[in-house]
Parts: sequence; structure tokens; C-alpha cells
Amino acid sequence: MSHNPLLVLEKIVKQFGQFRALDGVSLSLSPGEILGLVGPNGSGKTTCINVIAGLYRPEEGSVFFNGNKITKYSLTKMAHMGINRTFQVPKPFKSLTVRENLIIADQYAKRPHQPLEELLDFVGLTAYASREAGSLNSSQQKLLDLARALATGPSLLLIDELAAGLNPSELDKMAEKIKHLAESGIAILLVEHLLGFINSLTKRVIVMNAGKEIFEGDLESAAKNPEVNAVYLGG
Amino acid sequence: MRKPLISGGIVFLIVLLFFAIMPSVYSNEDLFFQAMVYLALAQGVNILYGFTGYLPFGYVGFFGTGAYAASLCITLLHFPPVLGIIAGGLASVVLSILLSPLLRLSGAYFAIGSLAASQMVYYIVSNPSLQNITNGPYGINLESVYQPHTSYVTMIVILALVMGVVIYIRNSRFGLSLQAIREDPVSAGMAGVHVVRQRAIAWFLSALIAGLVGGAFAWHISVFYPTTVFDLNISIFAIVFTLFGGVTTVLGPVLGMFVLYGFYNLIGISEPQYFQLIYGILILLLVLFLPSGIVSIVKRRGHYVP
Amino acid sequence: MLVYTVISGILFGLFCSLMGIGLNLIFGVMRFVNLAHGDFLMLGAFGAYFAYTLYGISPAISVVINMIVMIVIGALIYYAFVPRLLRSRDPEMLSLIFFFGISQVIEALSVIFFTNNPRSIDWSALGTANYQLFGQSFQESWVVSALISVIAIVLVYFYLYHTKLGYATRAVMGSLDEAASSGINVHRVSAWAMGIGLALAAAAGALSPFFLGSITPNMGSDITTTSFSIIIIGSLGNPLGTVIGGLIYGLSSMFMQSYIPSWANLVPYLLLFLILLFKPSGLLGKVVRHA
Repeated sequence: MSHNPLLVLEKIVKQFGQFRALDGVSLSLSPGEILGLVGPNGSGKTTCINVIAGLYRPEEGSVFFNGNKITKYSLTKMAHMGINRTFQVPKPFKSLTVRENLIIADQYAKRPHQPLEELLDFVGLTAYASREAGSLNSSQQKLLDLARALATGPSLLLIDELAAGLNPSELDKMAEKIKHLAESGIAILLVEHLLGFINSLTKRVIVMNAGKEIFEGDLESAAKNPEVNAVYLGG
Repeated sequence: MRKPLISGGIVFLIVLLFFAIMPSVYSNEDLFFQAMVYLALAQGVNILYGFTGYLPFGYVGFFGTGAYAASLCITLLHFPPVLGIIAGGLASVVLSILLSPLLRLSGAYFAIGSLAASQMVYYIVSNPSLQNITNGPYGINLESVYQPHTSYVTMIVILALVMGVVIYIRNSRFGLSLQAIREDPVSAGMAGVHVVRQRAIAWFLSALIAGLVGGAFAWHISVFYPTTVFDLNISIFAIVFTLFGGVTTVLGPVLGMFVLYGFYNLIGISEPQYFQLIYGILILLLVLFLPSGIVSIVKRRGHYVP
Repeated sequence: MLVYTVISGILFGLFCSLMGIGLNLIFGVMRFVNLAHGDFLMLGAFGAYFAYTLYGISPAISVVINMIVMIVIGALIYYAFVPRLLRSRDPEMLSLIFFFGISQVIEALSVIFFTNNPRSIDWSALGTANYQLFGQSFQESWVVSALISVIAIVLVYFYLYHTKLGYATRAVMGSLDEAASSGINVHRVSAWAMGIGLALAAAAGALSPFFLGSITPNMGSDITTTSFSIIIIGSLGNPLGTVIGGLIYGLSSMFMQSYIPSWANLVPYLLLFLILLFKPSGLLGKVVRHA
């Protein structure tokens, strides 16, 4: 593992009107590392991903990638640099086939990655390759999002709620796959509700509440932290 | 990936042979000329609406601009007609560049915004204060360069180019990227597609097509008025032909034009109100029962449609 | 000249507010652009024309008759087609095309039944007096029409802010999902909105002969675009914002007609275009970008 962080967030503030969705969030992530982002609904996890991926512009703070400040880059530019993501509500190109979804990412991001057939196999969608993406169920669409993100050859992957809707054996397989991606050198930021799933992947977790980081460490210590408990028990 | 290209090529050949041969079989050359005009315009709408999802109610604005720019280049600047047509196409592209902020709008806003834009162009061109340049509401006369046969051949060439472009888009990664943008611009951006640029290219391309067709139309009919070339029905015909046949395919607009325009020539000219009635009912039925056009009957069974 | 232009602009503007308000109500509730809006207005104009020429009924009475008939027609159209459209793949675009089809059908049937001959109602149908306002003289038909427009708009205000149905309607305008989950019958509310929206168009139709000149079956599409400009200027989805839009439109077109008449036709389109580009939510609006 390299000690030069790939991604650094410095005191990010994102406001929607009067509401501070992110209130001075800082974090860093190195190649091959998996970082879990947890917290109650509305704590700012997805907003955080949206800021990193270029969907939102933060009011304050900076995002650095490979040492370059990328705070104001467009989505497309981020994709070309090797930042990609999945969406909590999957956003495939519904009227195109599964394979065409990947072909677009392959041809336009122009970055080295595994062959498309391997990616299809990796997410288990080989049998659906010629189907319209809109005909897949929602967890398959999430997997397609993941495959499409991988087809852009990312070095940083932001995963927003992948586990919801998977059964226990699928969860185990998915955890293996994500570990495998990290081992290949991809830095992964994982937003997840299922704490067990996160715990099987990484010991490094950030707990967020009301747009702020309230804890960083492993989940076992988080469980003993009074502030974290207060948030989760609604106190 | 070979087969789609071949079937597209077959459609291309049949269409062009049809228009090349028919005037010697049935001597109403003007009828076939108009059919080519509508087919090319329908394909222009197909590029914009079918592939990118922008419905251009004001598409006729580009057609009229092409017709006027070509005519003025011919009458005032003494361009040879073919050069005039090219100038007409370029003038439409310039207009589309000026109007490109419209692409920031989506859905109905774009549709109505484009309509407003085309009406503005019409009121400017037809304004009596500009009579020195455009001849205002009194129209254009190109009889001095009238050569119906040459303009017919020119239109075949333009149609061939248009069909070629649509076949290319249908079978290329460019077309795929446009559809991706239509489906979800954010995801398209994340997949590395330059959303704004690709969309603008499709917009310029469809404007270029309407401009060239407008220029050829002006040359062929040689005497016309602003109301002739800015007639909103031209947009509407092109849109309905495309929708009826089926968007995002090469074949859809071809089928739509042949069926509906043929039908129009059977009853529409003598009894326009009955044609409009049937037309309106057809649109309602289409939206309610067959929103993806007649090609979707074949597509649903899993067959490929070029 | 200036005073005359201002007052006639306001009178015309009040009529324009009535002309646009139904379109805006339907947009606010259903997020549909009713491209047949102008055609329903045209039907109202023909209704008033025949009522006056055949039975001597005053257009002021026709306003009421038109509204009652159109509420029924609107609700029928709603229940027959709209739920199906809402379930489709792309409700926004398909509804646009659908209402375009309706407009074609209405226009064609009107040509078949009424022919293309332009008709007009004598301006004295609403009274022959001349009113003196600020030293300028205006015909009674204008003043009465503007007054009727004001009454209709006040009634819309009452419906929206002082009836149970109106509360529900505004809830649906605010958020369809929240309204539905709080137990509001969205279809019932929308069917009423559709009926009332068309009724207001037909009411404006009965007055249109005094402002827009002769009645023809193909007058609809221009009226639809003009109405759309008016509601965009005001605020899309906010029916009462239409009044601002109507007044701005009325005044600016009167000024153009008085001072640079040859370019007056450009006004609605230019305003529509500029506002769409620079402030798509309208002068009063905050939200509503994606329908």
C-alpha cells in the first residue's frame, strides 16, 4: 500500500439553501484501500460521493486527486481521470442493451480495464448481455452500474449502497469481488447501510452525522463510542 | 455488427433507387420531390428527437432559413444554385449555433422554445421593414435559375447524404453515445461521454440537413412566400412521420413518410380537413397504443430493425 | 397616447391573464403542456358566436355556459386518457404529442362543421356605451370583458385558497407523491383541474372576439403559444402568477402596436424565448425546471 493518498478531501462544505449537507468534511484514501462511510439517513454520505464525483460543487473546501485539485472538474473529466461511481438508485441507459451500456464506457472513457466479457462475468450479467438494461431488476441494474463504472478503468471507485437487496450468499460473493478490486489497486469509498457487509470488507470506517464526521476507526470500536451510539439510537 | 450495416444499406439503396426511377414511371416529378423533402426532414427530426430526445417543434425554422439564405445568395450575390444550397445549409448551422442555449432546456420547454425561435425568424424574414433584403411578405422568385430536373437530382444527392448520416449514427458509437445522453445525461457523463459536445453536434447536424433541404426546395419550386417555407405544418409532418414509423431507426421515418405522405396525397390535398382529422386521430391512437411507432411491432418480436 | 396605451394595455392584459390561467392550472397540477389550449378557447369563441347570432344570448352569459360545458368535457377527457398517459414510458413528451393530436382533431372538426369563414361578434354585444377613464374613451365591450376576466380570476383565487378542493389542488401542485400519500384522491383533483382549466380557456374564448379579432378554426395554435408566453412570463405552475404575465404581455404588446406596429407580432415569441433562456421559472417562480 502506497502512503501517498490518492484522494484527499479538505474541509468540504456543501449547502442546499439553509441546510448544511456537508459541514467541513475531510478524509483521505490511498490506492487499494477500502473506506466505509456510514451514518443515519441524511447524514451526508451520498452528498459526499456526489461532491467527489463532480455532480455537486462544494461551497467551501477542496478535493485533491493524485495531488491535483479537481474541485471544479466536470463529471466527464473525472471519468477520464479515473474517478467513477455507482448510484444508490441505479441509472443505466435503459433502452440500450447491457453490453451497449458497457461499450459506451469502454469507448468514451478510453482507459485500460478488464475486457468487457470479463466484466460481464464479474457482475454475473453475461446471460443478460443482449437484454435491454431497463428490463433488469433493480439489484441487477446496480451491478450493471458497477460494471459500467469498472469499464471506465477507474483508480477510485465510489460505491453507493450496493448491498441492499442481495441475499446472504450473494453478499459474501460481492464482498469477495470488492476485496478483489481493492487488491488490484483500486481505492474504494463505500457508502453502506449493512454494517456487517462493511465489517467484512474493511476496518476503516467513518461515521457521519448531520454533515460532520463523528468517528473514524473500526466498527467494533465505533459500537463502543457513546456519540455514535447516541446517533444510531436516535438519542 | 456487420448485419445491421448491410440491412441499413439495403434500405438506403431501395429508397434512392425508388426516387431515381419513379419520375420516369409516373411523371409527377414534384410529388416525388416533395416526398424526398419530407423524408430528409423526418430523418433530421429522427437525429434530434430519436437519438437525443429533443423534440423540435420549430424545426421548420431551419428549413425556412435554408430556403431564404440559398435564395438570397442566388438572387443578390449571384451564387450558382448548388453553392446557394450549401450556403443555405451553413446559414441554418449558424442559426443553430445562435440558438444552442435552447439545449439547456428539456422536454416541453425545449419543444416550445424552439417553436418560439422559428416564429421569430419567420416574423423577421417576412417583416415589411426588411423588404429591401428579403422582399418581406412578398416572397422570392428564382425563375431565372429554374431547372427542375437538376434540382431533383440535387435533392437525391442530399437525401443520399442524409440517409448515409443516419445509417452511420444508427451503427456507430456516436449514435450510441447520443442515446446514452438521452437516457441519462449524468450516467453518460460518468461513462466519459462529453454530453454538451455530442448533443450540440446532433443539433448542428439536424439544422444542416434542414437548411440544405430548404435550399433545394427553394430552387425546385422557385417561387415562394415566407408562409410557404415557415409553415408550421412542415415541422409537424416531419415529426409525425418519424413518430409513426418509429424513432431511432433508419427504416422508421422511411415507412412513416411513405405511408402517411402517400395517404396525404390521396385525400389530403382535396379534403385537407378530413385528412387533418384522421391525422389527429392517428396521433392519439399512436400515443396511446403504439408510442414507439410501427417498427416496434417487429422489434417487440426480437427482430432487428435497421 | 401614452395614457391610452397604458390603460388599454391593462384591459387587454387582464383578458390575457384569463386566457393563460387555465393552461397554467393544468400545467401546475399535471405537469402537462396542453397544446390544445387555444383550440378549446376557439371552441368557446364559436359557442359564444352561435349563442349570440342564433339566440341573441350575450357573450357575458356565454362565459358561464361555456364554463359549465367545458368542466364536463375536461373531466371526461381526463378520465378517458390521462391515467393511461401517466403510466407510459415518457409521460411528459407523450402528453405533449397527445394534446397536439387533440388540437388537430378539434381544428379539423371545426373546419368541417363551422367552415373556414372568419366570424366576428359585433362589439356592441356587450353594450354600446363608451367609458371615460383618465380622460380617454374606451368601448364598453373592452371594459366589461376586462371586468369579467377579473371576476373569473378572483373565483380561481377562491377555488384555490378557500375551498377544500382548492387545498387539495395546491397540495398536488406542491408534491404529487406527498399529496397522494396523505390520502388526497389525485385523480379526482386532477380531473377537476383539467375541467376548470378548459372552462377558463372557453370563458376567455367567449370574450376573444373583442380582443383578438375574428374567429376562425385555425386560431388555436397562435393562442396556445401566446398563452404559453404569458404563463412563462408570470410563473409556470403558479396560476395567480399568470396575472403578472398577462399584464406584462398586454402592456408590452399595446406599446409595440402603438409605437412600432410592424414588429408587434414578434413580442410574444421574443418574450417567451428570452424568459425561457434566462429565467425558465418565470419572473415570480423559484422552482419547476424539469416538468
